[in-house]
Amino acid sequence: MKIIKDKVAKLSFVALLITITAAMFYTPTASAHGEKSQAAFMRMRTIHWFDLNWSKEEVPVNDTMTISGKFYVFQGWPETVDKPEVAFLNVGIPGAVFIRQGSWIGGQLVPRSASLELGETYEFKVLLKARRPGDWHVHAMMNVQGGGPIIGPGKWTTITGSMKDFVNPVTTLTGDTVDLETYNLSNTYFWHGLWYLIGLAWLGYWIRKPLFIPRSIAVESGKAASLITSTDKKVGIAFTAGTIALVAWALAATNEKFPVTTPLQAGLLRNMKTFELPARTISVKVEDATYRVPGRAMQMTLTITNNGDSAVRLGEFNTAGVRFLDPAVYEDQSNYPDDLLAEEGLTVSDNSPLKPGQSRTVQVTASDAAWEVYRLADLIYDPDSRFAGLLFFSDESGNRQMVTVDAPLIPTFI
Amino acid sequence: MSASQSAVRSRAEAVKVSRTFDWMILFTLFFVVLGGYHIHYMLTGGDWDFWTDWKDRRLWVTVAPIVSITFPAAVQACLWWRYRLPFGAIVSVLGLLLGEWINRYLNFWGWTYFPVNFCFPSNLIPGAIVLDGILLLSGSMTLTAVLGGLAYGLIFYPGNWPIIAPLHVPVEYNGMVMTLADLQGYNYVRTGTPEYIRMVEKGTLRTFGKDVAPVSAFFSGFVSIIIYFLWHFFGRWFASTKFISGENI
Repeated sequence: MKIIKDKVAKLSFVALLITITAAMFYTPTASAHGEKSQAAFMRMRTIHWFDLNWSKEEVPVNDTMTISGKFYVFQGWPETVDKPEVAFLNVGIPGAVFIRQGSWIGGQLVPRSASLELGETYEFKVLLKARRPGDWHVHAMMNVQGGGPIIGPGKWTTITGSMKDFVNPVTTLTGDTVDLETYNLSNTYFWHGLWYLIGLAWLGYWIRKPLFIPRSIAVESGKAASLITSTDKKVGIAFTAGTIALVAWALAATNEKFPVTTPLQAGLLRNMKTFELPARTISVKVEDATYRVPGRAMQMTLTITNNGDSAVRLGEFNTAGVRFLDPAVYEDQSNYPDDLLAEEGLTVSDNSPLKPGQSRTVQVTASDAAWEVYRLADLIYDPDSRFAGLLFFSDESGNRQMVTVDAPLIPTFI
Repeated sequence: MSASQSAVRSRAEAVKVSRTFDWMILFTLFFVVLGGYHIHYMLTGGDWDFWTDWKDRRLWVTVAPIVSITFPAAVQACLWWRYRLPFGAIVSVLGLLLGEWINRYLNFWGWTYFPVNFCFPSNLIPGAIVLDGILLLSGSMTLTAVLGGLAYGLIFYPGNWPIIAPLHVPVEYNGMVMTLADLQGYNYVRTGTPEYIRMVEKGTLRTFGKDVAPVSAFFSGFVSIIIYFLWHFFGRWFASTKFISGENI
């Protein structure tokens, strides 16, 4: 019996080792930023990104690309998320694969956090310089204090070349041009190395002598005072005074070498310039909205009123960066990421041109696997079961007009 | 061999065994302190120590010494009380810095490609040597707490200035003034560390003009005194053998 038990134990151990070893070889690439796991209502009812453009899909090291577009700060911002009074325009990339050379909101550089107003639209641009080769998912992103990162649509971008060639030249106000990639590195290594050696020397002085057992015996037997010799004290004075002297000398020498220094810069940017959308001439009332779970489709009953002077048709519903289009009205020309684009995902019960002064109630269906893939269907599990998004109408001249919708959503399970 | 017999047969052998114990204990102490201190410092000092654009003249100067005097005080208490060895602070800080450098080089640079000139650790060694030196010369933990703690806080900023000063040279960047350290923080994207998280230059210390660092350093020194006392008692408590008391101890 014991032999059998031992064998079982041994085999179990071998099986465990094989499992652990096998698990080590399974290393799938982590290639996104968890955008799908962010609560659906966060993505639908906070920052709406639109008119996005990634200027390039392939960039050599040291070359630049931009992400540009607009974002609408949703008027119906959820109560459970702090308002974007302190927000930072960021990019969602896996570490410093690009450097951020510039980022602008409404034409103003935003290296710091900015205060955004609910219900306003802003134009933005982020200039990125390629640094590390690879295929990277590049997102627009807004960090909101108290709200967390609100990640926008992402697109795969390839950086080619070698990181060894990357340079980041910067000219200081004192007139020197430095490569920020390697600047101050040798100075950092020098001072850390020097101090580490001094520290080791102090430690070395003590550990060359017998340490724990004899000293413990001496302390226990009341001879502790004999353990510190006058030489020890002299060495202690030398190290202590030498340390203070070296620090003082290095401080003075550094101040002489760098007479012009400034404190770190910080602060909040306010009064950001908003983007003026054309005067809104279309009004939309959401009569009801349901999400049909088995069909992965959202249906809305909308009453649309055209108060403008040109007939309009509904061409797009955009929510959480997923765009549902009616191809008969509007086709995307911006090379938008495929996984976020439902080119035939929008159907309208009557999408004939709505003439000026007319009002019509229509059934609008936005259906695509993206509801599931991007976990927007999880909206039904959110604490505040509302949906929101942007409707884009096109007039006879091809001009687009944006209208926001925000209403309760009822799930249907059959 | 009976229980009363010695395990060694000569004085030479006893010395050899004793030295072997020394190295084993020292090796273990170094790496245990490295691990514990590293976790403690990352959790409490964190970003102030990670990034150059957090190393300011107010909060970094204040926070880093206060949270880093902990393990040196505890290890000093143990090594001095039990063995009259005045290297508790330096062994802690050397351990911490070795761990920090391994982390910064392999993880921050090797894994996520942040340049080392952006994410190097703070230099704590001058303060540690002074702390050990004062303990050795005074032989008093009280005096070490008061004088050493204060000195530890005061020496931190000047001890680091030669490393960070080059990064405080100003630049004009698209119409705004920034330091090179600010620019590093802006250029090298940290997706999970938005700018507003950065706690720099905040506070109400506005009555000393531009000479904020010395005032912050004094404040840091005063609090370091209190923290030294507290952690010194932790060290004494950990160094006690009362938990394993028995006839054979």
